[in-house]
Parts: sequence; structure tokens; C-alpha cells
Amino acid sequence: MVCQGKMKKLSWKIWLLLIILVLSLLSIFGMPPTFLKKGVVITSIDANSTAFEQGLRQGQIINFIDGNKISTIEDFSNALKDKFKLNESVKTIIQTNKVEVILFSKQAPEITVSGIQKTNIKTGLDLAGGSRALIQAQGEKLSAAQINDLVDVISNRLNVYGIADMNIRPVSDMTGNHFILIEIAGATPKDIEELISKQGKFEAKIGNETVFIGGEEDISSVCRNDATCAGIEGCYDSENGAFCNFRFVIYLSEDAAKKHAEITDKLEVNTTAQGKYLSEKLDLYLDDNLVDSLLIGEGLKGRVTTQIQISGSGTGSDRETAYDDAEKSMHQLQTVLITGSLPYKLEIVKLDTISPVLGKDFINSIFLAGITALLAVAIIIFIRYRKIKSSLALLFTSISEIIIILGIASFIEWNLDLPSIAGILATIGTGIDQQIIIMDEANQSKFLSIKQRLKRAFTIILGAYFTAVVALLPLLWAGAGLLKGFAITTIIGITAGVLITRPAFMDMVKRIED
Amino acid sequence: MQEETKNKFADWHDKNYKLLFLIPLTLLLFSLVYLGIFYYKNNDFIYKDISLTGGTSATISGEIDINNLEQFLSGKLEDVNTRKIYDLLTREQKAVIIETKSSAEETKQILEDYLGYELNSENSSFEFTGSALSESFYKQLLIAILFAFIFMAIVVFIIFRTFIPSLAVIMSVVADIIMTLALVNLLGIKMSSAGIIAFLMLIGYSVDTDILLTTRILKRQEGSLNERIFKAFQTGMTMTLTSLLAIVFAFIVVKSFSVVLSQIFLILSIGLCFDIINTWVTNVSILKWYVKEK
Repeated sequence: MVCQGKMKKLSWKIWLLLIILVLSLLSIFGMPPTFLKKGVVITSIDANSTAFEQGLRQGQIINFIDGNKISTIEDFSNALKDKFKLNESVKTIIQTNKVEVILFSKQAPEITVSGIQKTNIKTGLDLAGGSRALIQAQGEKLSAAQINDLVDVISNRLNVYGIADMNIRPVSDMTGNHFILIEIAGATPKDIEELISKQGKFEAKIGNETVFIGGEEDISSVCRNDATCAGIEGCYDSENGAFCNFRFVIYLSEDAAKKHAEITDKLEVNTTAQGKYLSEKLDLYLDDNLVDSLLIGEGLKGRVTTQIQISGSGTGSDRETAYDDAEKSMHQLQTVLITGSLPYKLEIVKLDTISPVLGKDFINSIFLAGITALLAVAIIIFIRYRKIKSSLALLFTSISEIIIILGIASFIEWNLDLPSIAGILATIGTGIDQQIIIMDEANQSKFLSIKQRLKRAFTIILGAYFTAVVALLPLLWAGAGLLKGFAITTIIGITAGVLITRPAFMDMVKRIED
Repeated sequence: MQEETKNKFADWHDKNYKLLFLIPLTLLLFSLVYLGIFYYKNNDFIYKDISLTGGTSATISGEIDINNLEQFLSGKLEDVNTRKIYDLLTREQKAVIIETKSSAEETKQILEDYLGYELNSENSSFEFTGSALSESFYKQLLIAILFAFIFMAIVVFIIFRTFIPSLAVIMSVVADIIMTLALVNLLGIKMSSAGIIAFLMLIGYSVDTDILLTTRILKRQEGSLNERIFKAFQTGMTMTLTSLLAIVFAFIVVKSFSVVLSQIFLILSIGLCFDIINTWVTNVSILKWYVKEK
């Protein structure tokens, strides 16, 4: 044949496939490959903690603690296990790939870690664990602008509360409903529901008059994480268990302080057994529920005071749970005092909290499923064609396709969730189908040149491609985007198929046939 | 020898293909009647699981006796369903899944009462969907399927530009969907949102073989009509069988751990089986008829 010399060389289509394959592998494993890195990676860190202030961040890799090498999660927990038993302040030196920090604390640093990901592939919440909430304004249809404001307020609130690793964004669905989607990676904060759905309308009233409300307009700062002006005062047993009181100081703005002076000026002084107090109390309301009533000392009458002490309590079946409850309530109250209330009443329409533990087994099983399925395909293909070269080429192409999809997914940082994985499996299925069409067309109508035969195969494949793409499009908008992953991975996969792998496979078949 | 049987079969097929068409037609009619009765009884096309009705799905790690649990929960929670998750190789139980229409808080409380320990994000997962949201999900998914179908039909018409053959392709896809839906309901499967996606995938898989068949028959000249059909059948069957086998194997593996994926695979395997009938009997019969009439 004339073109024999040419055919010895790999065609540009095969080269293109090989180059894309290498790029995909680089995108999946990174350079240098992540599986060569040693240490544990920080998955979450309390944004209010000293460790955070010192420069530890989520995503950093811890290599040493107190000079001991940390390679696994066991190393990490062993390094910290016995240090904090005595409830004394101890020194901890943590060395990460970015910073070295020295902490003095009574408790272990508030960070969670995990082993280093072997790849750059990001898994969705349903596999990696975390929480996801879809919220909607109650009884109101909000405009896109209103939704964006709400997103700002909520993310501010979560930040102030100390949640660092989150993703919050507006989403809408086919029927024009607007939602806010909140995704928090890693462990789920216990009070997530209250944090995101409580309006957090805080009001301090004397009689019927509002003195100040939550938010920066009236409150210039709130004391937290400082035992001198915030903390649990004491715990007491009660009939139904126990309760603990908390208190913390807030600083009012000039205007709010003046208002306080005006209102208290009008009050009378009552003398009681406990001392001299004003005739009305300062009532604290959270979302229209009375949280606490504070007696106002005689000395505050008519005085412009910026410093106010807020108090409240937590209850529980025993002192320990009451303590936790009080701490939680204090933290929540501090958060809404800083961030102010949400402009609308919200409703959680979907809330998923996924344990990170089960997801790990999941991924292994999915791999097993994929390999079994591919083996099954290989067997049929070999039985049908009895051509080892073509069958291997077919398998190679299908595996390349998986690698390319994963490569693109890690490149665009797409989180692979279960629908996405179903999409990958679907793509491989249709991919193999189309390769079978190519193999069969190549073996048919021998009076046509191989090029013409393959061109025919490609028209069938293009037809199948377009029907598949248009069938997937509606899914991008249905269901507030929660099933988008399926459409995205499938469209990536079949497009890569038509543009890259299928033409390359045709050239491979051409080489083998010639 | 092989040629002879092939020819014999071709002769037989030439005589009987119209009669053969009655098989899928009967199946289709039966499915339609069944679905009609089903709709009349249930006021819906499918049995919906909690992802479409709203409710809670809780996954709790550990070896928990599923029978005792179910007994304890029935009556306390609305519409309870429990399932095991196990290791495929060792058969060791890893977790239980509890599905109920009750709220997440209520479910958690009652489960904690039964288990006697606190459920946190280490030992459990909770997924809650409000009923209004799932209802709107369901509607949107149905619309998505409808649009997918219409778009697919338009592309098919554009590819073939002839009315009857295009219609035959679309009809065999419709038949696939309807027969699969009927069998899924007959088996009493509660469908999830993922199950509806499986129908979307089914549209893609089943239209592939139909496009192959129609292209080979209408756009090729070499060989007799029967030869072309037979060649297309060889290719198409290889396609469907590889897909089917891969899906069945994958189904066996994922059945142990993922409700979502196993439902997708189950529906796809049912659909692919019907696709064999609908491509190689329904579509072939109509096409043969069309070509011979012309």
C-alpha cells in the first residue's frame, strides 16, 4: 500500500488522545503526585480559635507535632492524646507545609484532620460527608437581589459562628423558585438548623419600648472567647435536672446608649430586699421569645452607658448537658447580636447531614463495580470478535474515557456525587456501544475503503450523540440543580468521546485492519 | 449450513414479521391498560419513595438487628422502610437505612430512644426533604423527561427526514419506557428521583440501537434488506448485551451499599431487555413494512 509508511506512525488523533490522557492524569494526581505526600491534612478549623489566629488553615498539611513526624491520623491523635489530661496549659508546636505555630492551651487545638487525598478528585457531600441545606423564605417569593442579600447575611452569620469550610449560593429551579443552598464539608455542626433557619431577631425592651436590637447599628462589639467578660457563671440543680447561667458583655453604640439613658430616666427606683432597682426590667427577646429579664440597678438611671451585660441560661438533664446547652445558647446569642437578624423568616426545605465514615467504603465498592462491569464487557467483546488487538484497543479507549472525565472533573473542581458517578457509568456504557458500531462498520462492506466505512460509523455516532445531549439538557435545570452532576459528567464524557476518543479509536481500528 | 439456517429464518421472517409485531403490541397494550388502572387506583404513575414524597432517610452504622428495629419503629414513625447495607465479600452488616415520611428530628429522637445512644455525624447520616420540595422535584423531573423526549424526537426527525421510520424509532423508545414503567410498578418498586433519571438514561440507550438499525436499512444500499437487518442485529445485540451484562454485574456489586445506584441499574436492565424486543421486533417490523411498501 502507498500509505504503508505513513501508517506506521501514530496519527495525530491518537497523539491527541495520548496527550489529553497525560494531561488528565496530571490533573487527577497533581504534580508532584499527591500520593507521594506525607502528613495529615486539616479538614476544618474553628475560625474563632487561637490555632486559626496563628495561621493554621484548612487545607494545610501537618507534618510535625512537637517534633514528632505525623504521617497518619493515628500519629496525629497519638501526638495529642496524653497532653491535655491534666487541664493545664501546655505548649504544642504544629508544623505544616505552610507555617509553624506554637500554641499554649488547656485543650487540644480545635481542628479536624484526615489523611491526604491520594488524588485531586473531589467527592460530593454524599460520599465525603458533610451537610447540605436548601432553604427558602417562608411564604414569600424573593427576587434574585433579595436572595443575594440573604446569602450575605447567612454566610456572615456562619462565619461569625466559626464555620470556615462552607459554600453558600443562590440556586433556582425550572419553575422559578429561588433557594439558598448551603454546603458545609466535614463534620456537621450540631446546631446547623437553628443557625440557618432562625431569623435571629434580637430585641432588648424596657416596657414596650425597644432599647436596642441585634446587629452592628446598635451594638458596636460583643465580648466572646474572653473569660473576663464572657462565660458560664455557674450551674445549679433544679427539679427537672439542672441549669447553667451564662453572661457576657456587649458594647452599645452611642445612639443606642443615649436611648437607654432616655428610657431609664423616666423610670422610678424601687427598693427591694436585694437592693435598689429601677421599676421596669430590661427584657431580652430572641425571635419574639423572652430569653431573660434583667433587673436594672439604680445607678444606671438616666446614664449614658455603653457597656451592658447580657445573660441567659441553658438547661439539661444533668449539669454537664446543661453546661453544653448554656454554652451553645450563649454562642448563638452572641452570633445574632453581632450579625443582626435575617430579613426574612426562613424554612429548611431539605437538610442532609452525611457521615463521612460510610462514604469511604462507598468509593471502594464503586471501583469494584466499575472493574467488574468492564471485565464483563471485555469478555463479551472478546467472544464476539476474537481479535485480541481490537478488543484491547476498545478497553483502552473506554478506560481512557474514564480518566479523561475524571481529569476534567478535577480540573473544573467538580464535586463527584452519586448522580455524577451514575453519569460516568452511563457514558462508559454508551461509549462502548459506539465503539462496537465502529468495529462492526469497519468489518462491513469491504468494497468501500476503510476510511469510508469509518465515516459511515461516525454519522451513526453523531446522531446518537446529539440525541443524548438534548435528552440531558433539561436535567441541568430540574430539581434545583441537585441532579445536575449526572448531566454534567455525561455531557463531558460523551463530548470527549465524540471529539477525542472515538476518532482515536477509529484510527486504531484503521491501523489494526490495514 | 449457517447460510441455510439464515436463509430459512429470513424466509420465515418475511412471512411472519407482521404477525411478530403483535407480540410487542400486546405487551404495550397490556402495559398501557395496567398503567391506566394503576393511575386510577393510586392517582399517580409510580410508587414514590421519600425522595419524591418528602421524608427522612437515616443511615446508622453498625450491626443493628433490622427485624427488631422495624418492629419497634412501626406505629411510631410514618411509613417505615428498613434496609441493610453490607460488605459484598464478607456479607458483614455495615449499616441500616431507615426511610420514613416523618421529620428528621422526630426520626432521630425515636431512633435514639431505641438505640440508647446519641446519633451524631460520626455514626449516622440523615437526609430530610420537605414534602413541598419533593413534590416540585417530581413535577420538574417529569417535565425534564418530557422535554428530553421531545428534543430526542426532533433530532431523530432531523437525522432521518422521513416520517414513518422516524416515528418507528420514537415509538420503540416510547414502548421501552411504558413497558419498563409497567414492570417496575408490577414489582412494587418505590421509585426515587434517581429512578426517574434511569428513565432518562434509558431514552439514550434505547435510541442508539434504533438509530443504528434505521441508518443501516435506509441509508445503505449493499446487500438485501434482510442481510442489512441481520448485520444491524449482530451489531445492535452486541451493544445491548454488553451494556446489559455490565449493568447486571454493576447492579450485583452496588446492591450491597447504594440504594440510589442499584435502582438506576435495575431499571436500566429491565429497560434494556424490553429494548431488545422493541428494537428487533417493533422497529424492524415497521421498517420492513415501510421499505416493502415503498
